Amino acid sequence: MRLLISDLTHRYDDLTVLDRIDLVLNEGEVLAVIGPSGCGKSTLLGIAGGIVAPSAGRVAVDGPVPDGCLNPITYVFQDFALLPWRSVEENVALVLAHHPLPAADRRARVEEGLRRMGLWEFRQALPKQLSGGMRQRVGIARALAVRPAILLLDEPLSALDAQTRELLMDDFLDLWRREKTTALYVTHNLDEALRLADRVVVLSRRPGRIREIVTIEEPRDRRLAPAAQAHLAEVRARLWHLMKAEAQMADREIARA
Amino acid sequence: MSIARWTRRTLLQRTAFAGVALAAALAVGPQPVAAQTLDKASVGVLALSSSGPIFIAKAKGYFEREGLDVTLSTFTSAQQVPVAVASGDVDFGVTGLTAGFYNLAAKGAITMIAAQSRDEPGFPLSAYVATNAAHAAGLAKPSDLKGKRIAITTVGSTFHYMIGILGQKYGFTVKDVTMVPLQDVPKMVAAFKGGQVDAILAPSTVARQLVADGAGQILGWAGDETPWQLGALFTGPKTIQTRRPVVEKFVRAYKTALAEYHAAFNVKDASGALVKGPGYDALLTIIADATKQKPEIVAAGLPYVDPNARLLIDDVVNQVRFWQSEGQVDKALDPKSILDLSFIGQ
Amino acid sequence: MPDPINTPTSTQSTLQAVRFRGGGFHPRRHPWAALAAFALLIALWEGTSRVGLASPLFLPPPSAVGRALAGMIADGSLWLNLKASLLRIGVGWSLGTLGGLTVGLLMGVASVARAVGVPLVSAFFPIPKIALLPLFILWFGIGEASKFATIGFGVFFPTVIAVYSAIDSVPRNLIRMAQSFGLPWGAILRNILLPGALPGILAGFRITASIALILVVAAEMIGAEYGIGAFVLMAGNLMQTDTLLAGVMVMSALGLTIGALLSLLERRLLVWR
Ligand SMILES: Nc1ncnc2c1ncn2[C@@H]1O[C@H](COP(=O)(O)OP(=O)(O)OP(=O)(O)O)[C@@H](O)[C@H]1O
Ligand SMILES: [Mg+2]
Repeated sequence: MRLLISDLTHRYDDLTVLDRIDLVLNEGEVLAVIGPSGCGKSTLLGIAGGIVAPSAGRVAVDGPVPDGCLNPITYVFQDFALLPWRSVEENVALVLAHHPLPAADRRARVEEGLRRMGLWEFRQALPKQLSGGMRQRVGIARALAVRPAILLLDEPLSALDAQTRELLMDDFLDLWRREKTTALYVTHNLDEALRLADRVVVLSRRPGRIREIVTIEEPRDRRLAPAAQAHLAEVRARLWHLMKAEAQMADREIARA
Repeated sequence: MSIARWTRRTLLQRTAFAGVALAAALAVGPQPVAAQTLDKASVGVLALSSSGPIFIAKAKGYFEREGLDVTLSTFTSAQQVPVAVASGDVDFGVTGLTAGFYNLAAKGAITMIAAQSRDEPGFPLSAYVATNAAHAAGLAKPSDLKGKRIAITTVGSTFHYMIGILGQKYGFTVKDVTMVPLQDVPKMVAAFKGGQVDAILAPSTVARQLVADGAGQILGWAGDETPWQLGALFTGPKTIQTRRPVVEKFVRAYKTALAEYHAAFNVKDASGALVKGPGYDALLTIIADATKQKPEIVAAGLPYVDPNARLLIDDVVNQVRFWQSEGQVDKALDPKSILDLSFIGQ
Repeated sequence: MPDPINTPTSTQSTLQAVRFRGGGFHPRRHPWAALAAFALLIALWEGTSRVGLASPLFLPPPSAVGRALAGMIADGSLWLNLKASLLRIGVGWSLGTLGGLTVGLLMGVASVARAVGVPLVSAFFPIPKIALLPLFILWFGIGEASKFATIGFGVFFPTVIAVYSAIDSVPRNLIRMAQSFGLPWGAILRNILLPGALPGILAGFRITASIALILVVAAEMIGAEYGIGAFVLMAGNLMQTDTLLAGVMVMSALGLTIGALLSLLERRLLVWR
C-alpha cells in the first residue's frame, strides 16, 4: 500500500506549521523524516494517520488492503501510549477487541506479536514493571497485532537510552527484513535514519517545507559492513549540512520567542 | 479546660458588649450614682419577651439602684444559657425549663432561685395547631391529639413536656402519640404545611401565621389546658455560697421589675379581659427594643409572670418526674435539691 | 586487592572516616506511633478529669464515655441507631454517586454538557444542605426519602466535580492511540476514560463518604427516631455530654472504617499505579 500526500498545509490558529508538502511513501519503503524541533514532523504524521485534520491538502492511500490487516495505517508512539492498568497482553488485545475475530485468531495474533518482540514471558506484567525498551516493544507488538499496511513511527526510540535504542533498531531491521512493512519514520537522530531508512526527507524549520529527499543506496542489511561506510559518511555529511543551518536558526527563534 | 474557658470568655465579652450597648440605648431610668461602688454581675438572656422583666430592670435602673452593675449577655438558644451559667461565664440566667436544663441542675451546676414566665389561662403563648386535613378528619380539640403525629422541636424540649402534661390531663402518655422531632420551628412548619404531621405545637406568632395562611386550625392554647412553669431565674450554687448579697440584690431588682411587668401586662378586669396597666406603653417599648420586634407583635405574646416571682413548685416536681419517667433525666435527682427559694421567701 | 584502610601504608593518623550525612527526609512507617499517641492522649484526658482539672460536665472523662458506649451496646441501641444511619448513608450516598457519575461523565465527554453544567454546579454546590432542609421536607416529606435526598444532594455535586476532573486528567495521548486503532466511542469510554478516571473518582469517594457522614446528622434532624446523628443531637439537647461524646466516637469509628475500606478498594483496584 502506498501513501500519497499532496499539497498539504497545516496551521494551528495563526501558526503555519507545514507548508505545501508533497510526498509519496512507496510500497515497502521506509521513509525517514528529519527536521528541527517544532517543524511539524508530528503534525505531518498525525495528518497522515487521520488523527489531525489538515488545513489544506489531501492524504490518500493507494492499493489493496493486505489479507488479515485490521488497521491499515498504524502508529507506534514516542511515549508508548500503553494503558497502565492493563497487562502486556491486555494492552495488545485492546486493539483487537472491537474486530469480529474468532477467539483463536485473536489469541494467535496477541501471542505472535508478543513472541516476535520477546515479551511472551512478560505477558502478565503491568507496564510499570517493564523497562522503557520493553514498553516500546509492547507498543510495537500491539501495532503488529493488527498486521498494518503502513507503520507511522513518531520518534519511537527517543525516550530510550543508547543501548536500548541499538537493540530496538535491530528489532526494526528484523521486522523489515521479514515483513517489508511500509513505514514513515520520524526522528531527530541521524544514526537512526542512516540505519533504517531507504530515503530521508529533510524538512526546513517551521513552517516545515521539504528541503530535500536524500536516497541511501546501500541496502539496509549491509550498512554495518566496512564497504558501506564511505557512502554512509557521504550521506551523513549531506544530511548534516542540510540540517545544521536549519537547526541553528530554529534554535535561535525558540530563544527569541 | 482553663484555656477553653478563657477563649470562650473573650467570645462572651463580645456578646456582653452588645448587651452594654443595648442597655445604654435603653437607659431611661436614673443614672448610677457612683459607678465604682457598684458590684458587677452578668445575666444570660434570650431576646424574647419572656425575658421582659430583666430588660425592664436593666432599662429602668433597678439593678443600679440595688448597687449592681449588670451586663446582659444575649444568647440564641435556650440551651446556651444554663451552660453559660454552669461554666461561670455569666452569673445568672433566665430561660425555659427543658430536660437539658434539669440534667445540668442534676450535676449540681445550677440552682433555680425564682420564677420566670408561666403558661396561664388567658395568655396565649403556645398553641396546638391541626392541619386542615387532620381537622376535617375529626381533630377538633386538644384531647383528640391522642394517637396523632405531632411535630416538636426536640426530644426534651418544652413542647415535649407540654404534650406530656396534656396527656396527664386527658389520660394518655407520650407513647400514645407520635412525636416527630424536627429541631427547629421552620422545619416544623414545613412538615406541617406538607401534611407530614397531623398537628404541631407552635409559638403564638407562628400559630397565628399558619391560620392566616389557611394552613391549619388552632385547637387551643397550652396555657388554657395545662398551666405550667415555663421558665426560671437561676444561678450557680457557688455564686449563692460566695456572693449571697449580690444574689439578694439581683432578685430584689428582678422582683421590682416583675411586679411592674405584672401590673402593666397581666391584670384582668372583672369580665376576665386583659387591661392595660400603668406604664404599659413605656414598658412595651423597652421590651420591643430589646427583642427587636414590633410592639404589636410583642403585645400579642406577652407571657404571664407571678408578681412575687413564685415558682409552681408542684409543676417543677412534675416536670422532673416526667423527664425521669421518659428516661431523660437521672432518676436520682431530687427536684427540691435544685431549688433555693429563700431569696423570694417562698 | 588488599584492604586499603587496614594496610599499614596509609598514615593512620590522618585517616578520617567519611561521616554519613544522608539520613532523614524519607517517610517511614511507624505503626505504633499513632497508637501510642492515642493512648497517651486518652490517659492525659482521663488524668485531667481525675485530678479535677476539668469538670465531668464539660469534658467527661474517657471512662464515662466508655461507660456510655458500653450502655449503648448492652441495651442494643447502638446497633439500632447504627443500622438506621448506615441505611441512610448507604442509600443516600449511592443515589448521589450514581447521579454524580452520570452527570460528571457527561460533562467530562460532552463540551455542551460541560458548558451548561459547570456554572450550575458552581451555583449549587456551596449551598449548605442544612438550609434546604425545610424545602426537602416539603418535597420529600419527613420519611426516609428526605434523608436520602439530603445525603444524596450533598454527595452529588462533589462527585460531579471529581468525575469530570478525573476524566480531564486521563492522558489525551491514550485516547488518540485508541482512535488511531479505530476503537469505537463506547470502547474508548469503557476501556480508557473510565479506568483512567478511576483514581480521581475513588479520591472523590473518599470526600463524599465523609460528606455523607457529616450530612447524616443534618438528615436526621428531620424527625428521625433512630440514627447515630439523631442520637448525638438528642444527647446534645439533653446536655448528656458523656453520651454525646460516645455518639461522636461511634461516628469517628464509622469514618475510620469507611476510610479503611476505601483504602482497601484503592489498593485492589489501583495496583497498576
Ligand atoms: N495542538 C496544537 N495547537 C497549537 N500548536 C501546536 C499544536 N501541536 C503542535 N503545535 C505547534 O506546532 C509546531 C509543530 O509541532 P509538531 O509537534 O508537529 O513539531 P515536531 O516537529 O514534531 O517537533 P518535535 O521535534 O519537538 O517533536 C510546534 O511549534 C508546536 O508548538
Ligand atoms: Mg514531535
